[in-house]
Amino acid sequence: MSVHDFWTPFALEPFINALIIGLSLASIWLVAALGLTIIYGTMGVINMAHGEFIMLGAYITWILQYFLGFPWLLCLPISFVVVGFIGWLVERGLIRHLYERPLDTLLATWGVSLVFIQSIRLIFGGEPQYIDTPEWLKSVIEIGFVYIPSIRIFIFGLALGLVGLTWLLLYKSNFGVQVRAVMQNREMAASFGINSSKVYGLTFAYGAGLAGISGAMFSGLKTIFPDMGLGYVVEAFLVVVTGGGELFGSLATAGIMGEMFSIFSYFTNDTFARFVLFVLIVIFLRFRPQGIFTPSMARR
Amino acid sequence: MEKRNLYHDKRAQWAVYLVAFGVLALIPVWMGDDPFTLNQYARYGVFGILALSVSLVWGFGGILSLGQGIAFGMAAYGMAATMQMQYQDPVNDPIPSFMLTNELTALPTVWEPFWHTSVGLILAMGIPVVFFVLFGLLMFQARLAGAFVAIMTLAMLGAWYNMAYDMQPFTAGFNGISPPNAFQAFGVEVDPYSSMIYWVSLGVLAALTLLTKLLLQSKFGTIIQAIRDDSERARFLGYNVAFYQVVVFALGGLIAALGGMVWVIIVQYVSPTALEIFFSITIVIWAAVGGRMSLFGAIFGAIFINAAQSYVGDEFQATWFIILGTVFIVVVRFLPKGFAGLFEYAISFVPNPLPPSRSLISGQQK
Repeated sequence: MSVHDFWTPFALEPFINALIIGLSLASIWLVAALGLTIIYGTMGVINMAHGEFIMLGAYITWILQYFLGFPWLLCLPISFVVVGFIGWLVERGLIRHLYERPLDTLLATWGVSLVFIQSIRLIFGGEPQYIDTPEWLKSVIEIGFVYIPSIRIFIFGLALGLVGLTWLLLYKSNFGVQVRAVMQNREMAASFGINSSKVYGLTFAYGAGLAGISGAMFSGLKTIFPDMGLGYVVEAFLVVVTGGGELFGSLATAGIMGEMFSIFSYFTNDTFARFVLFVLIVIFLRFRPQGIFTPSMARR
Repeated sequence: MEKRNLYHDKRAQWAVYLVAFGVLALIPVWMGDDPFTLNQYARYGVFGILALSVSLVWGFGGILSLGQGIAFGMAAYGMAATMQMQYQDPVNDPIPSFMLTNELTALPTVWEPFWHTSVGLILAMGIPVVFFVLFGLLMFQARLAGAFVAIMTLAMLGAWYNMAYDMQPFTAGFNGISPPNAFQAFGVEVDPYSSMIYWVSLGVLAALTLLTKLLLQSKFGTIIQAIRDDSERARFLGYNVAFYQVVVFALGGLIAALGGMVWVIIVQYVSPTALEIFFSITIVIWAAVGGRMSLFGAIFGAIFINAAQSYVGDEFQATWFIILGTVFIVVVRFLPKGFAGLFEYAISFVPNPLPPSRSLISGQQK
């Protein structure tokens, strides 16, 4: 392996293509991280089962399409509702007992993810499944020398749409005011008559629902299989933690990470790019554990 | 005055540890020497070593590391390189075959030191420790704790997994390295299907456990437990918290590294699976289920869970992860101290027959 094979020299057109791939990648990481951002940012819960919520969303899409013949677009909102409900059950049954022990939520949700993966494997088998998307999403849009599959543009748009919706919900709705109040001081919020337990349950359900819809979206892009979630959860965590658990922090970090990954992998290759990215994030967190935008944070 | 629980009596603890390892050492004598059973038991020994490292770092040091696999995997690769070079001939056949298929024409420089078994062993053990010291300095000087450490170790593990996978000419990528011959050191061959491998594995486990126990009973052990319980207070009392955390983290790395070396002697194989995220979290599950606050509990958890997995039989293999996941959820929810905590509670009803000896009672009542 010579240095020449390892290092791709710079050329404008493929480089611009790489930048566009980076944007698409960023939108995927953003969608995967969005639900986690809400859950980690508001509740401080490290939800290791997040990848499995994504997987469940993808499988719900597949079930609806394979057994009932639903069109793909209709599966997206249904996945949101169903996975949101599953998330609500998990919060009610397990997570609300562990708010005083944040590290234990990490472990308990890992147990949840084991159960989900193996249940799906038992019921539907371990082999990869495919999902059919509408014809108009299968085309490839060509602008000069740039080729973009239209489903990636769709996902990019949907990602921004979901961020916008979440922003409206958190900052412009009555529910959002309650969530942010509970986030700042749970006891104080409760003494003002906010049912903090209910707020936590709904927030977790909303975060899980976002994971479900992202799983449904990814199912149009890649094959689905029972342990697909693990492939998203590490990146999603890094986006959330680097973004400081804030909505716009995640937006910015996903963009930066996606572009950096794409540029590194343009010059070298995918795995080396991932190595460099992960190491850079670890070093970044050493100097800014509070995240990219947050000014300061109480050390826990 | 609190009731004296036999569980906290150091004399009883040492008696249990010594008797338990003594009994385990006799297994090949009693159970006959079926080579495959002994090989499997030796593997359980390594799982015990890994759980021990988690117990020290997390249970006593309060650092939840999801990256114990980094030390395990690095050491495993170092050991595999050492064993591979024992097989290669410096004159006729100096390059391992997987390198030839990857179009390497000379042995890479990083592989050169592994010609010498002793140098190889030192590197296999030393590199993970040096890495853990540097990584620990990076994290603990920034006063990172809790979930951040968990996520950072996870990310670092993911990074190394990718490297092992991708550096195909050096690590044989996905296929992994399988040294053809058994490990030889100082004129002795360690046959991986014999009583000897069992005793090697158990010996390392026992030595590390007893040394860790001694360490935890020293002043150092008291300080790291104080840091675990309240790091701010320990800092105000004048202790250099980061220093102690780095040392605990690196010691945990050393224990996991020794586990990795023994592992490769047993299985004669290493692949990126040693660095898988799934594996590293599974180690944490073993320790948590057995009881992270007890060295013996954690080791017991590792051996018990793996033995259970082997003996539930093929018809339950499919549901195994559901069982494991459920047990883990129940343990985290209701038994934060694992089975050891349950045992601690049960034995508190048994009157302590030993005479009181203040200096000998470890301060674990909390």
